[in-house]
Amino acid sequence: MSKTSTTNTTAKPAASPETTALRRVVIDPVTRIEGHAKISILLDQDGQVSDAEFHVVEFRGFEKFCEGRPYSEMPGITPRICGICPVSHLLASAKAGDAIMSVNIPPAADKLRRLMNLGQFVQSHALSFFHLSAPDFLLGWDTAPAQRNVFGLIARNRELARAGIRLRQFGQEVIEILGDKKIHPAWAVPGGVRTPLTETGRDRIRSWLPEAFATTRTAFDLFKKTLETHKREVQIFGNFPSLFMGLVDAEGNWEHHGGKLRFTDASGNVIADQVDPQKYDEYISEAVQAGSYLKSPYYSPLGFPEGMYRVGPLARLNVAEHMGTPKADAELKKFKKMGRGAVTSSFLYHYARLIEILASLERIEGLLDDPDLLSEDLRADAGINSLRGVGVSEAPRGTLFHDYQVDRQGLLRKVNLIVATGQNNLAMNRTVAQIARHYVRGGGDIPEPVLNRIEHGIRCYDPCLSCSTHALGQMPLVVTLIGPDGQVLKQQVRGMD
Amino acid sequence: MISKLLVIGYGNTLRKDDGVGPLAASELETLHLPGVNTLVCPLLTPELAEPVSRSDEVIFIDASVEPARDVQLRRVAPADSSRVLAHAANPQILLALARDVFGRVPKAWCLTIPVEDLGLGESLSATARANLRSAVEMVVQMRAGRLDADEDAR
Repeated sequence: MSKTSTTNTTAKPAASPETTALRRVVIDPVTRIEGHAKISILLDQDGQVSDAEFHVVEFRGFEKFCEGRPYSEMPGITPRICGICPVSHLLASAKAGDAIMSVNIPPAADKLRRLMNLGQFVQSHALSFFHLSAPDFLLGWDTAPAQRNVFGLIARNRELARAGIRLRQFGQEVIEILGDKKIHPAWAVPGGVRTPLTETGRDRIRSWLPEAFATTRTAFDLFKKTLETHKREVQIFGNFPSLFMGLVDAEGNWEHHGGKLRFTDASGNVIADQVDPQKYDEYISEAVQAGSYLKSPYYSPLGFPEGMYRVGPLARLNVAEHMGTPKADAELKKFKKMGRGAVTSSFLYHYARLIEILASLERIEGLLDDPDLLSEDLRADAGINSLRGVGVSEAPRGTLFHDYQVDRQGLLRKVNLIVATGQNNLAMNRTVAQIARHYVRGGGDIPEPVLNRIEHGIRCYDPCLSCSTHALGQMPLVVTLIGPDGQVLKQQVRGMD
Repeated sequence: MISKLLVIGYGNTLRKDDGVGPLAASELETLHLPGVNTLVCPLLTPELAEPVSRSDEVIFIDASVEPARDVQLRRVAPADSSRVLAHAANPQILLALARDVFGRVPKAWCLTIPVEDLGLGESLSATARANLRSAVEMVVQMRAGRLDADEDAR
């Protein structure tokens, strides 16, 4: 949507022992419509960075909007929260409906839902890697923004750029073949899915695989070279201990759509395992943070903020013992050697994303040989058998929760959505602070290369601001420097038209 | 030979008037205009660059809260270079991707529909409904050669 933006903010820092002397920061509510990513960097008396925050302004109105509607409508509604990860919401929503009906869906329906989720992983991770991240580490932090973008990448290597677009197209093709639409396919429903996969559709998906594997291989080669020249980034881009959470199967292997929740710590110890997703709220609470509209989920037994955990590719690979497919397993082994117990550097989200693309392609390949995929037994039918249903599915960015409470007629009384970006918010804050401490000095202008690094620190998490802000996928960046007396010293804006 | 026109209507259909772009494209699809293909999407994303590059002409339809009160049809050119910070692009970026990655860029226009209500919901305001009809008619006229689309139109 074309729009003019006027932003008028007065800043307040989040409360912490080190910043209690600072004036409080308030985020102007106008910005939530715009979907800005706002960063506040707090300086102490010596001009050193004392803290930093990445503010994702979440628009919670969506959950209220759904109250009173039939739960069966939610797979048609919730994908429209987000044009970037509609499939994730579709599948989590359908699962919540399954739980309300208390049904086990037919095996074929489960496999088809998984196939769609795998397509979603491929398309989302491909975009993140090739378009949003690769320009940074291929072209360099010090390259001017006019060149340090996907067009610079095209100029450097047009075939790589084309391959990246086509890899994403492949993922979208899987989604469209199954759901008949690339975006918002109203295909998964409580109890199963609407339509089967055809032989033609299956063959079309299969025909793409060689190219998809080849492009992924190229991306691995590229990133491994990047690791040799970006050792500093691995050290300081969000490298800190935290918990990690993700879905695993009964054997503790990588899961993307079923299974149970597992939490591990920074040493790789499992601290909670095989947690029934229906009981997620016995392990996850949400804290309200001063100066933000976002609630920050945390691991309840450790309290806030010690219970900070990360989700998404890095977390999923940390909690999983194996990927379950040979090529991805070989890469997982190399990946795990990059940490002691757990891999803690957020820069390595990029590596984890590539491993998940590879695992997704291998699993798609395996699924296509399953004759069940063409079955027409796709729906289970039942009434309201539970007044609460929780649907959990791994979105590309992290674990997604849809929690619905209904009345006896199936009308929604309460909806709670926990999205990945919210769960990573605390970690993103720490990442920004870590990078800022290394590079920001004094209260003057923040040089472009420093802004580039801070922005990349956020991009490691591939945040979905559409889900968090219900805006339209833009991420203009507003960086505010705040002095020890709370005065705004400087505000720099980029990416706003 | 009939030129290939691609109409891309984009916006969020759960944000009331923001859905006018998709609705306009959907309505044009029902008219079965010769040589016209339509795409409906919430965002402009890079994989659209390939179908854009294969078209002779492209119209991007979107809601607008700019001060202009009339539907506007404006020529749009590819960006010289631009920044993709998030997963969505704009028409200029998409055209540039079509040119730089796939080697071809069509003539293109932005058709912006003035709207007033972007709240949560699926209904359209009276303003949006009226302007949606005007926008659809504009495309029909343009396709019939009754609109000089090389000049900006409203």
